[in-house]
Parts: sequence; structure tokens; C-alpha cells
Amino acid sequence: MSWIQKLYETYENCQSMVGKSTDDNNTPLLPICHTTQIAQIEVTIDQEGNFKRARVVPKDDAKTIIPCTEDSGGRTSGLRPHPLCDKLQYVAADYQQYGGSKKPCFRLDDSPYGNNDIETEYFKNELEGTSYISIKEFFDKYKKKLHEIFSELVKIPNLVVIINRNESIEKIREGSVDTETIIKNKYKLIDIFPKTLQKTITYEYLLERWCASEHSHPKAEAVLKYVKKGTVVKDLIDSKVLFVGENGKLLKKWDKKQKDNIPDIFKLSLDEQADAFVRWIVEIPNDPQSAVWLDMSLYESWIKYYSSTKKTKTLCYVVGTDLLEADQHPKKLRNDTDSAKLISANDTSGFTFRGRFLTAGQACGVSLDISQKSHLALRWLIERQGKVFYEGKRRTPGLTIVAWAITGEQIPDPLADSFSIMGFDKLESDSEPIASNAQDLALRLKKKISGYSVTLGDTTGVVVMGLDSATPGRMSITFYRELTGSDFLARVENWHQTCCWIHNYRPKEIDVAGKKKTIYIQFVGAPAPSDIAEAAYGSKVDDRLRNATVERILPCIIDGQKIPRDLVESVVRQASNRIAMENWEWNKTLSIACALYRKYHEKEEYDMALDENRTTRDYLYGRLLALADNLEQWALSKANEDRPTTAARLMQRFADHPYTTWRTIELSLQPYKARLGAKSLSRQRLISEVTTKFKPDDYTNDKKLSGEFLLGYHCQREALRSKEKEEDPEEGMLQE
Amino acid sequence: MENKVSFKVYGKFALFTDPLTKIGGEKCSYQIPTYQALKGIIESVYWKPTIIWIIDKVRVMKPIKTQTKSVKPLNYGESKAPYSLSIYTYLSDVEYQVQAHFKWNLHREDMSKDRNENKHYFVAKRMIERGGRRDIFLGTRECQGYVEPCCFGEGEGFYDNYGELSFDLMFHGFDYPDELGKDELHARFWRPKMVNGIIEFIRPEDCEIRKFVKKMSANPPVSVGLDEEGLLEGYCTEGVR
Repeated sequence: MSWIQKLYETYENCQSMVGKSTDDNNTPLLPICHTTQIAQIEVTIDQEGNFKRARVVPKDDAKTIIPCTEDSGGRTSGLRPHPLCDKLQYVAADYQQYGGSKKPCFRLDDSPYGNNDIETEYFKNELEGTSYISIKEFFDKYKKKLHEIFSELVKIPNLVVIINRNESIEKIREGSVDTETIIKNKYKLIDIFPKTLQKTITYEYLLERWCASEHSHPKAEAVLKYVKKGTVVKDLIDSKVLFVGENGKLLKKWDKKQKDNIPDIFKLSLDEQADAFVRWIVEIPNDPQSAVWLDMSLYESWIKYYSSTKKTKTLCYVVGTDLLEADQHPKKLRNDTDSAKLISANDTSGFTFRGRFLTAGQACGVSLDISQKSHLALRWLIERQGKVFYEGKRRTPGLTIVAWAITGEQIPDPLADSFSIMGFDKLESDSEPIASNAQDLALRLKKKISGYSVTLGDTTGVVVMGLDSATPGRMSITFYRELTGSDFLARVENWHQTCCWIHNYRPKEIDVAGKKKTIYIQFVGAPAPSDIAEAAYGSKVDDRLRNATVERILPCIIDGQKIPRDLVESVVRQASNRIAMENWEWNKTLSIACALYRKYHEKEEYDMALDENRTTRDYLYGRLLALADNLEQWALSKANEDRPTTAARLMQRFADHPYTTWRTIELSLQPYKARLGAKSLSRQRLISEVTTKFKPDDYTNDKKLSGEFLLGYHCQREALRSKEKEEDPEEGMLQE
Repeated sequence: MENKVSFKVYGKFALFTDPLTKIGGEKCSYQIPTYQALKGIIESVYWKPTIIWIIDKVRVMKPIKTQTKSVKPLNYGESKAPYSLSIYTYLSDVEYQVQAHFKWNLHREDMSKDRNENKHYFVAKRMIERGGRRDIFLGTRECQGYVEPCCFGEGEGFYDNYGELSFDLMFHGFDYPDELGKDELHARFWRPKMVNGIIEFIRPEDCEIRKFVKKMSANPPVSVGLDEEGLLEGYCTEGVR
């Protein structure tokens, strides 16, 4: 019963999907320590690191899987290089030479170090007293320039050994050493300058380290050889991918006068050319997969290398054993721009965990493997089958609901309406039958659900998870349920069968003689929670309120809880206020109100067809209103008049004071009755029939009507409609 | 040894924070109470340094439901804003029946004269009847809880015929130095199982998964037990008539 454990299990169950993109624009289930980026430039090189060609990546192929460190995977504004593919600012040594405006991050920066940056603990452990002092002198001599001290230090064949021997610094500098030793010593330095070097880890450094390790890969080595030449931007300019102005710097914008031949790079939504993201193709003879972002062996190589750099172990709070610790947890869970994290700990001065604990590591620990796998699984699931509700003008991701089976099987979306559940929105033509009554719905639903349960089985776990964030950086779990597959399906089925009504609002595009046309299809079923929220609070409902409402409805579906009463009343109130809305919107609100009222009063077992024998006051008043509305509408359309009927205008007042308002409505019907003449007799007869059904006191009772009157109204209206269609098909159309 | 008590504790909300969500500040509750939370409750009801409370089992009476609340936790740190925003996920409408017993804290030799099981048992029972000596809260301070005496297993619970429900790795409790006898703080973990609504806790010493948290030393209140001067003045062994 732990969300992270279940996500981890899902990842393990779906191992076969790793790296495989099912749809072009969907992120596949990523290998661990990898993320995706949109690439703009593709550079092809050969095994020896020679430039071959380059091109601008077309938009639909731009999503690229790239290796990342924990730091770079969660990078925001700081310089945190990815190890292989990255922006020009990282991969090109000649970035600044051509006028790159951002800080370059190819080589080590000249950032000064402070005494605090040096891990004195390191020396204390490794050295005896006097040699500790000699290294301090060494640091002082080279003042605060890190790159100087660095270039000196890397010449030391084996730093620790020599310092232990207490040899003089002069002697150390004389020694000539090979490159491999230099690189090895660089890594040693990271232990000495942890803070400064973490801040200034560069692209070259990262790639070099990888290539120097035992987990190196020929493609990574080829890229390293190429970038070390320092001609990335130059090569791109030569091959006419990037463009320079007269001053030899990269153009910020394309000259507007030359509209006809805009180069591809300016067609992309980049701030400037120099921001482009580069990915590599390494052509090696006899290697079928030349693209670095699709090469499984390269994934493996990076994962192995990166895991080998991790040193500290911690008790993983998910599996309960000591494993390599994760420093950071991935973001981009809800979409590519999302920076909220599920697990984070950056509060070093407040009291989120401080008190009993001093550091976040004392309070909690998660292993790298588990953290990566569970987060990547969640990201994949959300993209594949989750629902993200966006908020505000900037469309930032807000509430997100995702339901999945731990085995990775398909399950119905709990937030969909019956229309989508039964797959009507995917039907090719409109000729196929659509559920039009309760029995039909039950039958189709049963068929659909049993289809799911065959593949799912009874015991497979299904998880429903809701996520939301109050601040951009942190995400919280607002809803979490684990159910068995059969339970889940039973509850979804129950929701769709009990919270259903006849709806008309789902648009669908169909082909009519080659033309696209949108039609509204009638279906019987449950409305979607977001539609319910819009019905309850108007179509321009505030995003936060809508999301909160969806969140409240979710337990009604998943746990079978009762629908909140205030929600039902709000929808009923909205539906009564007919003149405030466009006609289509009001119709939608009305049918949703009926569905909710029916669900709320489940025990009453309201029928979706007109119940002639029901003699409750509210139901009968609803029928009366429908009859009056129908009669007047008929008369108006006969005369080609287009204005709201009296019944429509007075509907809200009618809901509050039915008896007194009914008098007004009935009186106003007189001219229309006269206009229609004998045709209206059947309607008039119906009106009096309904009136006689009232119990004596009920009729004169002027108390507020409950939502039941909407059911009476809707049923009566539908009954009249189908009757008209039978009698006079044309007349029926006019009523629409 | 007559040292077993049972009580029921209930409240509108409970927040037994999952440590994974605690460090970020977006707290989310476990579905069931932790051993340490229940121990804290019974310690709020009655505790003396002489005794260590052991929780035997807990019975979940009401369906496990959650509710989220938007909160504005105060910023105690260097941040400029006076508060930040969070969403906490609470358990709502909870009720538990708990059975616990106490044993002597053998690391407190100075309390050896206070090891009178009848006294502690009856005081504990009385305190349960009174609803506890100090505030009761379910997991976190804002979730006020109420203690009443009960007979473990009485009444109808939601999960009575539910069968078995397993939970993944969960926090069990802390080993504090005063009960451990070492200057260390450890966190314990276990994998709970709920059978028909009842979770039988394993003993702290049986938890195999442990994490050393930090060095910590016990800081017991200084006392001389019943040897305090003047404590027994005027006390006659026959009792007061």
C-alpha cells in the first residue's frame, strides 16, 4: 500500500516497453537515468570523431531520449550539463567565439573557491598533520583561481601518495604524466573540492569521465573526440545549419526582408539559434543503430557508469535494504514543463523535518534505482492514460488523476463519461448504434467491462492516484487508492449505470460526403466529472474550483461514496436558471442535473422514460412546465418567431414559486392555443390530465421545487419529442 | 502481570505522515496508524519513566478515507515569505481500538522502587476513563483525538470480514536512547498485515529493518525515586482512615 512501491512494480512489469515509443509524440517508458528533450540540430560524425554532416531536426521527430545525471535531469536555471546530448552552450567549445550570449559550460570555469569548498575532512582522513599543512600552503599559493590550481593538481600522478610522502610542491610540478592519469586525478579532485566542482561540472568533464571509465561506449568516445576539437558551431555554420551575420557572430533573428527562404532553424520556436539542442548520430561500420538516442547499449553503458559513480548507500524506505542513494528525484512528471517534485527536501532552515532529524537523509532515504524507476513509470503512465487539468492563463499543470493496472494492462479511465468509456468517440461513422436507453447501456457496458476483466483478471492491483501542487516546486498526493481489478471495474460500471441520464452534448466529427461535420450524438450514461463541475458552477468555472470538484467526485466513483449534496443542489439551481445560458449549454446542464439528482436519490429508482404513474408534486410540476414550453415553442416556430418562451423565461421563478408562476404561464398560453387551433388540443388535454393527478394540497402548495421537477420536465419533453417524430417528422425537427 | 489495557481513540482527522512525503513538506498520511503514533497516544494518556508501553494490536473500525486540505505552513527558515503553501492529505473520520501493555524500563534502575504493577495499571485505567492526562492527537498536533475505554474487539468494524490486506514497507517506530540503553536513535520498519481489520504489531525488538539515524543521548529527569527527602513524611503504612 505504498504508491512508490506500486509504481516501481509497474515499471518492473513493463520492462519490455522501455525505450519503445508506441506513438510518435508520446514519451516512451524511459530507461533509468534518462530523460527526454526536444532536439533542434542533429550532427552526424564518424567513429573517429570527424564531422560528416548536420541537419535541422523536423518537429515531429524532435523528442529525444538523452542520458542525464540526477542533477541535470532536474536542472532549472543553473548550469548542469547532460552527459551526451545538450545545448550548444554546453557541447560547443566555440560557443562564445560566435557570440553565444549565455554562460558557456564546456570547460571548467574560472570560478573562485572558498576555504569552505575544500573538504578538509578528506585530508584529515588521508593525511598526517604536516602533509595537511603542506597542501594548505599549496592552495594558498595559487590563491583563489580554481582553474590554475586545477591544472597544477591534475599533473600530480597520484595526489594522495605524493602528499603522503611529503614531497615538495616543486617536485610535483616537474613530473610529466599521461592523460589517463590526469583524468583519474580529476576525479580525485571532486572529493577535495566537492562544492566548487559540483557547481562547475562541465560537459567535457562529464563526458571525459564516462569515457575514461570501464563502462565507456564507442559512440560516447567518438562524440568526445569530436567535441574536443572545439569546432561544433563552426561546422554547423559551414554546413549551413546555423547562420552568422557580417560581424561573424550568430544571427539573433533572420532578416525579415528575406521572407522567401527562411532557413529551417529560424522556423523553430527558439529564442535564438545559439539555444539549439544538439543530438548525435555516430556512424560506425556494421552498427545498425547509429542514432545515439535509440541505442540500447548506450543506455546500458550510461546507467552502469552512472551507478558506479554513486558511493553512499542508504536504507531505502521502499524496499528496506541498503542501496545506492538517490541525491535528487526526477521532475517533469505531469508534462515536460512541470518542475514539481513528489519527493524533495530543500528546507534546511525551516522545520519540515528538522527537529528530531538534522538532515533530510536522516529523515528519509530512497535508492537511485527505485526513485528513477517509480518516477519514470509515473511520468509514462500520466502521459499515456492520465488526465491533467491545467490551471490559469499560463496553463500550468494542476490536478492530475491517473489510474493504472500494476501489470500495465489497459483499464477504463475513471474520469471519462460513458460515451468515451464505450468507445463511441472513436467510431468511424455515425451509423453504428449508440446506447439510447438504460437496458442498452447496461448491456454495452457489461460487454465492455467484461472485455477489460478478461485481460485484467480478478486479482491484479489497480491504483488510482491524484496529484496536485500548491506551489510550483512541490507536488503532493491528494488521492490514493489501491483496489483489485474486479473491484475497480465493478465500481466504474456501477457509476456509469447509476449516475446516468440521456445526454445530447457530446460532439463528434463525421464525414458527410467528404466534408467534416460536427454532430451531437445522443447517448445514455454518466457525465464526466469535469462536465459535472462545469454544470454546477457554469462553463467559465474557475480552474481551481473545477479541479476541486473533480477531486470531490472521484471518491464517489472509486469508493462508491455518496455524491455531495451541495453539488447536486448547485447543478439543479443552475439548470433552473435557463435564461442565463445558451440553449446548448442549458440542455447539457439539465441532463447532467437529472443524472446527478437521480444518482443522489438512488433508492427512488427514477426511470429515464416518462413515468405516467408518478404523482409526486415536483415531478408533475416539471411535466406541466415541459408541456407549456412545448406548446408555445410549437406555435412560435410555426410563425417563424425566434424568442424564448414564457416557460423558459420564467423557469427560475417557477422553481421557487411553482403555483403562482404556473398561473402566469398558463394565462400567457392563451394566444398560442388560439393560434394553433385544433392542433393544440392533445397538448391541452395532456395539461389537464397532469393537473388532475396532483393531490389536492400539493397543487396549491407554493413551496420551492426540488430537483425532481427537472426529471419530470426532461422526461415529458423527451416523450413529446418522440411522439412528434412519429406523428409528424418535420414538426419534430422544428422543435430541435 | 495485570498490565494490559485497551482503549478506543477517534477523531475527525489523522495524519500519520509517510516519511517520503514528510521531507518535502507535502505531507501525506499512511493508511493505518504507526506503532509510534499509538505509543504516543497511550503515553499522553499515562506515562511514567518506570514503564515502557508496548502496543499489541490495533483494530481499524471505520473505512479508510482520505481528505486533502490546503494549508499554509509557517516559514521558520530564511525565506522571505511568511508562509508557504502545501496540500496535506489526512485520513478522515477515524476510529481505532488499541490494546497495549506496559513493561518495566530496565534501563532506569533509579525507578526500581516504583515498579508496582498494580499502581501503574490502575492509574492507566483511570486515565483512560478520564480521556488521558495530556492532549491526544492522531499523528500530528492538528489532529485532535479522543480516548475512551473499550473492550478490544467489541462493536462492529468496517473491515470485520474483509480478509487480509498487506501493506508495503512502513515506519514502525523509533528506538530512543532511554529505552534502548545506547546513545543512539534508530528508526524501525516493518511490513504490516491487516487481517479482518486487526493489525498485530511486532515487538520493537523483532523489527529486522532498522536505520541508524543519529547519535543521541538520553536526558532523563533527575530523580531519586522514593528516596526523596521528606516524600514519605507523615505517611503511615496503615493508610489514612
